[in-house]
Amino acid sequence: MRSHFDGELDQLRLQVEVMAERVSQALGRMSVVLATGNVREAEAALAADDEVDAMLVSLTQRCYDLIRREAPVASDLRFLVSVLRVLEELERIADLSLRVVKQASELHLVVAYPPMFSTLLDMAHEAGLLYRTAIDAWSAQDLDLAETLAARNRVMDGHYAVLLDHILELDGAGAAKVAVVGVLVGRALERIADHAVIVGERLHYLLTGDPAHLAAEVR
Amino acid sequence: MDIRTKTAEVDTATPQATHAPARPDVFEHTAKVFELSGLSVYYGAYRAIRDVDLVVPERRITAFIGPSGCGKTTLLRCFNRMNDLIPSARVEGRISYHGIDLYGEGVDAMEVRTRIGMVFQKPNPFPKSIRDNIAFGPKVLKIKGDHDEIVERSLRRAALWDEVKDRLKDSALGLSGGQQQRLCIARALAVDPEVILMDEPCSALDPIATGRIEDLMEEIKSEYTIIIVTHNMQQAARVSDRCAFFTTEVNERSDTRTGVLVELDRTETIFSNPSDERTEHYITGRFG
Repeated sequence: MRSHFDGELDQLRLQVEVMAERVSQALGRMSVVLATGNVREAEAALAADDEVDAMLVSLTQRCYDLIRREAPVASDLRFLVSVLRVLEELERIADLSLRVVKQASELHLVVAYPPMFSTLLDMAHEAGLLYRTAIDAWSAQDLDLAETLAARNRVMDGHYAVLLDHILELDGAGAAKVAVVGVLVGRALERIADHAVIVGERLHYLLTGDPAHLAAEVR
Repeated sequence: MDIRTKTAEVDTATPQATHAPARPDVFEHTAKVFELSGLSVYYGAYRAIRDVDLVVPERRITAFIGPSGCGKTTLLRCFNRMNDLIPSARVEGRISYHGIDLYGEGVDAMEVRTRIGMVFQKPNPFPKSIRDNIAFGPKVLKIKGDHDEIVERSLRRAALWDEVKDRLKDSALGLSGGQQQRLCIARALAVDPEVILMDEPCSALDPIATGRIEDLMEEIKSEYTIIIVTHNMQQAARVSDRCAFFTTEVNERSDTRTGVLVELDRTETIFSNPSDERTEHYITGRFG
């Protein structure tokens, strides 16, 4: 029964995964740009973002349409409202990756400070891991995997604290410019991790219906 | 007003455990109007519904939902002993109303129906004037006071007064379906009941008339306890505070179906995160 609706939900599930893959590619490009300052890669990343934006709009509309047409309840309702949230998170993560990418021409400033640059690379690596973990958990509906996100995010917070220490130690002419780039990039990477954690919380809500996880998203 | 005409024992024993919710029951401190324990209803040898335990809180709207044939209407008709009118119907177990066994010795079924009114699926006004439809109950029950005042008050409570005040002497059969249903609600209110039972009250109405009845329910629930049977999931989700889901179990030996209560919880919980898989399957449209 309701096989058409089930088919639509399956299709939506698949489309979310496709969008998640596009965002994963954006994070990959971001890491390359951060490590190499490659301007061509930066341009490719900026161009690819339009597709993620378009997917957000079209999949959001599809959710609205299914809600209007099918009046979903219980797990169907939780799925659709959760997808709406996850779509926003994916788009936000893609946008944050662009904040890093847009610094491509300024990255040489931080490369000149190896401990700081190394911390940023660690953060980018950690952000990628957190994102992959969140998406794998979402796809497999694996709560145990989602549970690991909070600990990973603490590692990220540790890196961010180290980064801020490095920035505070900056001295001399041009320090302010380096600090601005360092904060912009570091903050974006730290926020990517936070949004990945929200995907995990949303999976908890989807599977358990426990509103405590909605509160966790706000924190 | 006491529903008993003869002396009957008031049950002061500890209430039987009702459906045990997995989560704390937010209505546990609300006064209980009805308590059912082990209630079964038979039509001859056929058991239509079995072993229902539930509590109906005061001044709340409780919805009964479930597939056709699961015994919702049968159960609803127990609350004011309408099943007495069916010769083969028999009730087992206990249904207490403010601690009094509704089917106990000395309980007057007519008195019960005065305290516990009913509105049916199809509007059923008497072939009389609008006024006489409302005044009928107070007249039969010899309720003292100004019956015109009762008519106006009842029609106002049912949000119908403004539409009919200039044609009270016209036949009720000239009203639209939605107006007729509100007239039937006004008629039920005229004898000042405590409980109103509604058996799919909007199934014959268009969405506008349905909306008016739902608004009316919301307005009067501060004064009345309402139990509604509905097939409209969205209606149950919109209007009720608590929702009971019933389903049917097949008896393989006799190839008959018996209704059972699956789950009773806050409506919000039932429609966002039900405890029982059978409820989930039904409300998401994947039943059967």
